[in-house]
Parts: sequence; C-alpha cells; structure tokens
Amino acid sequence: MTELSVDSRELEGIVLLYPRGFINAHTVRLFEGEIQKALDQGRYRIVVSGSGLKYIASAGLGALMGVIEEIRTNGGDIRLAELNETVHNIFDILGFNHLYRIFPSEVEAILSFREGGEAGSPPA
Amino acid sequence: MSARRAALVLRVPSRTEFLAAIRDVTRRMAETAGFDAAQADQLALAVDEASTNVIEHAYRGAADRRIELRFHDRGGELRVEVADDGQAVDPREIPEVDLRRYASERRTGGLGMHLMGRIMDSVTFRRDGGGNVCCMVKRKPERREASG
Repeated sequence: MTELSVDSRELEGIVLLYPRGFINAHTVRLFEGEIQKALDQGRYRIVVSGSGLKYIASAGLGALMGVIEEIRTNGGDIRLAELNETVHNIFDILGFNHLYRIFPSEVEAILSFREGGEAGSPPA
Repeated sequence: MSARRAALVLRVPSRTEFLAAIRDVTRRMAETAGFDAAQADQLALAVDEASTNVIEHAYRGAADRRIELRFHDRGGELRVEVADDGQAVDPREIPEVDLRRYASERRTGGLGMHLMGRIMDSVTFRRDGGGNVCCMVKRKPERREASG
C-alpha cells in the first residue's frame, strides 16, 4: 500500500504540491524530494495544497523547516492550503501557524503571491 | 470486575514502515477508550513520534530490533508505554524548541518530543532492564451524561 504520493504542477511560476496520504518518518523523503526538485529548478514559490493530506508528523514539519530559510532568502515562500482539521491542529500545537501562512483554499494561497506584499517573510 | 480495563501489548519491528500499523492501533485503542476522532488522531501522532524516536535514537536506525507498545485503559486515563532495549536516551539532551531560531539554523530535531509534550498530559522516561521506556498519559475528556 502506498502511504504517500505527491503530485505537482506549476502555475504562473508557483509550484503546487499535492501530498496525498501520510507524511511521517517513513514517507518524508518523497515529500522532501518534491520540494527539493522545485528548489533545484529555481522555483521558490511553493503552495502545499493539503486536501489529500491525512496526517503529518514532525518529520514532515522538519522538512518544511529545513528549507524555509533558503526559500525566503531567495524571495519565495512555502504557503499551505486546504489543511484538514487534524493537520491544522498539529500546525497550531507547534506554533507553525506563526511561521507559515495557511489559507483555506488553494486559490487564496496562489493569489497571495500576487499581492503587493512580497514573499520572503513569515506571517505578521 | 477489576478497575483495570482494556490492555493491549503490541510488538513491532524497528522499521518505519510499521509506523502506519502503530498509528492505526493507537487510534483504535484511543477511540475504544472514549476519545473522539480528533483526540485519537493526536494520540496516534504522539505514539508515532515516540516510536520514531526509538528507531532513530535508541536503535540508531537498526531495523532488526523490536519496539513494544503497551496500552492501558486505566478508567480516567489512557496510558501508553513505548519500550525498547536500545541505548540510553536522555530526554534532557533535547533542547527546547524555538521555531524561528530552528528555521534560521535549519534545525529540525526535537519537534517530535515537543509535539508529544503538547499532546499528552504527561510524558516521562525511565531506564528499565537495559532499555528505555517512554510513558505517556492522556486524561479522558469529561463524560457528559445524556439529558432528557
């Protein structure tokens, strides 16, 4: 059984990642690999669209933490959207909602990159 | 009937592909004990993290060892012990998590322990018979009596 799949597509220079399943110590390399692919291509604007993400453990959160400084230094950001209640709670528990911008919908996350406010910083 | 309620012992190989089974059993045990689905998901996460710590730290990635999980429904609380026979792990060596500093220093360690502490009412460690035991306790929610 596949515990995680990560589809990706690009829209207006923004890389959209669609993790489906569970991100934990067993599956995190796949998730990290998809983020790294974007960075290797010089894509620093990333939306993780989480409607298919059932669960994320600290390994997955660590994957986000491990790249965020590099991404913001390059004027980009990782933004999250459509997280289910379980995943949202995990972000809240750890205080990740202060470090990452989280949007109810994928469209809002995409549009946020068009706003006048430049990427590259955590939420106010 | 004795005060002791459901108890379950699960032994799994020290391999990350078994984290899914650990998560499923924990969630089911938590729901059986009276936690709602959201709380059961959080308990499953805490036990996933404790098991991952065993694999990564006590066993340093060795895949031929065993993790023993002991679930005890103690009436007012659910206690979960995650036991190994690996090298001693001193939780005091794990630093407090400062997310912004973590991001700037590209650090990722310690998040799991931090999550466990935030989810459970207590998390304690002890050495036992040449191994480590992580004991996590979560009090059950107040049960509301049906009205009418």
